[in-house]
Amino acid sequence: MRRWGLGRRITGHRRLGEALRGHVPERRLFSMADAVPGKKYRVLRIHGGYRLNSRLCAMGFVPGEVFYVTGASRGGPRCVIIKGTKFAIGSGMAERIQVEEI
Amino acid sequence: MAAREITIALSGNPNSGKTTIFNNLTGLHQHVGNYPGVTVEKKTGVVEYKGYRITVIDLPGTYSLTGYSQEEIIARNFVVNEKPDVVIDIVDSSNLERNLYLAIQLIELDTPLVLAFNMSDVAKKIGKIVDINLLSELLGLPVIETVGSRGVGKGEILEAAIDLAERGKRKKVEIKYGEEIENEIFNITSVLEREEIPTFNFSRRWVAVKLLEQDAEIINLIKKADVQKYKKIEDTVNSSISRITSILRDTPEVIIADARYGFIKGALLESYKEVEPAKLDRTERIDRILTNRVFGIPIFLLIMWLMFQLVFSLGKYPVGWLELGFEKLSGLVTNVVHHDLMRSLLVDGVIGGVGGVITFTPNIIMLFFAIAVLEDSGYMARAAFVMDRIMHKIGLHGKSFIPLVIGFGCTVPAYMGSRILENKQDRLVTMHINTFMSCGARLPVYVLFAGAFFPAMAGNVIFSIYLVGVLMAVIMAKVLRATRFRGESEPFVMELPAYRMPTIKGVLIHTWERVWEYIKKAGTVILAISILMWLLFTFPMIGDNYSQDYEAQFEENELLYQSGEITFDEYSSEKSNIEAKMAGESLAYSAAGRVGHFLEPVFRPLGFDWKMAVATVAGIAAKEVIVSTMGTLYSIEDTESQSDSLQTALNKNYTPLVGYNFMLFTLLYFPCLAAMAVFRKEAGTKEMLFQMGYTLLLAWTVSFLVFQVGRFFV
Repeated sequence: MRRWGLGRRITGHRRLGEALRGHVPERRLFSMADAVPGKKYRVLRIHGGYRLNSRLCAMGFVPGEVFYVTGASRGGPRCVIIKGTKFAIGSGMAERIQVEEI
Repeated sequence: MAAREITIALSGNPNSGKTTIFNNLTGLHQHVGNYPGVTVEKKTGVVEYKGYRITVIDLPGTYSLTGYSQEEIIARNFVVNEKPDVVIDIVDSSNLERNLYLAIQLIELDTPLVLAFNMSDVAKKIGKIVDINLLSELLGLPVIETVGSRGVGKGEILEAAIDLAERGKRKKVEIKYGEEIENEIFNITSVLEREEIPTFNFSRRWVAVKLLEQDAEIINLIKKADVQKYKKIEDTVNSSISRITSILRDTPEVIIADARYGFIKGALLESYKEVEPAKLDRTERIDRILTNRVFGIPIFLLIMWLMFQLVFSLGKYPVGWLELGFEKLSGLVTNVVHHDLMRSLLVDGVIGGVGGVITFTPNIIMLFFAIAVLEDSGYMARAAFVMDRIMHKIGLHGKSFIPLVIGFGCTVPAYMGSRILENKQDRLVTMHINTFMSCGARLPVYVLFAGAFFPAMAGNVIFSIYLVGVLMAVIMAKVLRATRFRGESEPFVMELPAYRMPTIKGVLIHTWERVWEYIKKAGTVILAISILMWLLFTFPMIGDNYSQDYEAQFEENELLYQSGEITFDEYSSEKSNIEAKMAGESLAYSAAGRVGHFLEPVFRPLGFDWKMAVATVAGIAAKEVIVSTMGTLYSIEDTESQSDSLQTALNKNYTPLVGYNFMLFTLLYFPCLAAMAVFRKEAGTKEMLFQMGYTLLLAWTVSFLVFQVGRFFV
């Protein structure tokens, strides 16, 4: 895995991973990276491999979970509060978490 | 009556207060080691309680047992293979749902489990009320309330552990994952049973769940045991996964995680109430300042500056006292031991070597004190958050910045400080480039050479050397990331725990552990190395093989003085001049001197002569030794007071280009043997050899280019 978060969008690497698992997003999805402070969001789906999915789930990033953003720097990590705990999450990682505004 | 022995293991999420509970239970009766073959710390402690001798093992803090990281695999394997009598899962009471996720996985493993709801006072204060009796009933296991910071619940934990160990488990709780998953679990377990596939102390049901989750560790275990059998189960698992994915429109690991949270929610539904909605009030307010987009980095730099001041500026006083102490000790030994060789071994070898390392102890104490405060308060995670964007660009983690700053003081604590990086790749790259952060011991070399060759602008020249170091660190970080340490970099997700007041006990215990390790190192490895270096610089002894008859010169000097032809000052200056010449010759005669001569052809293309080669070899012991070695080689007795004459000698013998080049070489090759001993302890022999090899190669290459290209211009 390359280091995430250099501000780039979907990479070839990521596409490959998803193609193998049978779901290639057609267009850029609304992700945690697009979420802004002051609004509420819900996790829809994590676009990652087994390891990443398991890890994020263990940290509380599961489909259906509500979260909000408290701070972010452009291209750098952002702060989200999910299941009562605050996390810093790199933008590359955040892009893999598909979310919706509620 | 012999005490009955019980083993208990502490598990828990990071930031659940697990370490505080561990410290409460065991006090100072702790032993820090490593799990076999890995650099994950293993802390063990012993407590005597009501006739029981209870061994407590602190498992690494993890969010789950998925086998994602080394820590998770260690925790899981320990629970399954070592079979502790009781596992105590430390749970943050103000965040039950998240923390119970790990507990559920321990229940899945069928471990004898006790839940300790820690920080229960905070939870109650913010209106989170849990009916522990009901929850205990629902989960089928003992639940106790604790407040780690005030030592509340220590006795209850031990009582519950003893009770569970004596009476055995109460009832077995099985987590159901929903119909579709359960069907596939059934399919997989029947294949596991039919094909007699090994399950390594785990239950078949558990292995089936892990296969659905595609747990790499379990898959590898089965593959290693029997590839044929793995192929048989692989097909079943793959079709199960695709069935689940097509029906439930998500992958099994996500569905299973969801079912675990569902089980937790179900158990909490009746037993848990929130009087008012949870707020991260205080933490949120502090974070608004400390992780502010504009002020975050300046505040971080200020804290780093304060830490640096604490470690080195304040630390220099006790360091001075220790130096004085060792000087006095040397003096004492010199007076008491009359055997020349023995005295030299004790004074120059043992006290000089070990003392040189021990004198850094105050720095180490203050450094780890500062790190413990930063970590326990919760700021460390913020520091990583704030610096991540910048450090990212050179392929490092936000936290890497901290050991790198410390490296400007001394590389030894910097290597040890790299431990704050959990990811092995990040840690190794940070350690490998730390050597270019020019440490304090190299400064005397720069001062000597810059003063000799560039007296008018010595400050600027020295600054340029520091800059070259930083630049080299950035370049090498990129190079190492792109080559040897490619891939496997930790994606950045990190908990920003609520701010907490660090407890004095906790901070002191953390500091003491590290410092004790350092002192032990000085007493063993460093002692051996010091004696070895002394042997190299002392043997073979020159005996009567001097090129001139120094004895005659001494006598002549003596006669001149006694006849009144020279003053006492002239007499003693001539005497020390002769002594210095002898020392120079005997050094050249020794093994180290011969190595220098032998290595001269290697150093020739850099513009260095054999004396510089000897100094470089001596610098392996410690970089500041380069100065005294050059002094000895140029027959100047007291390098401190006569550094002017050494500078004159250097100026006469080398060009400014060679002088600058020598500073570059000193900057770039690995710091010293003490640092390498620590490097080996932290990262293993292979990495240490790599560090030594690549820095020498880099130092040589850079110096070669600078000299060969520079020759045409100067």
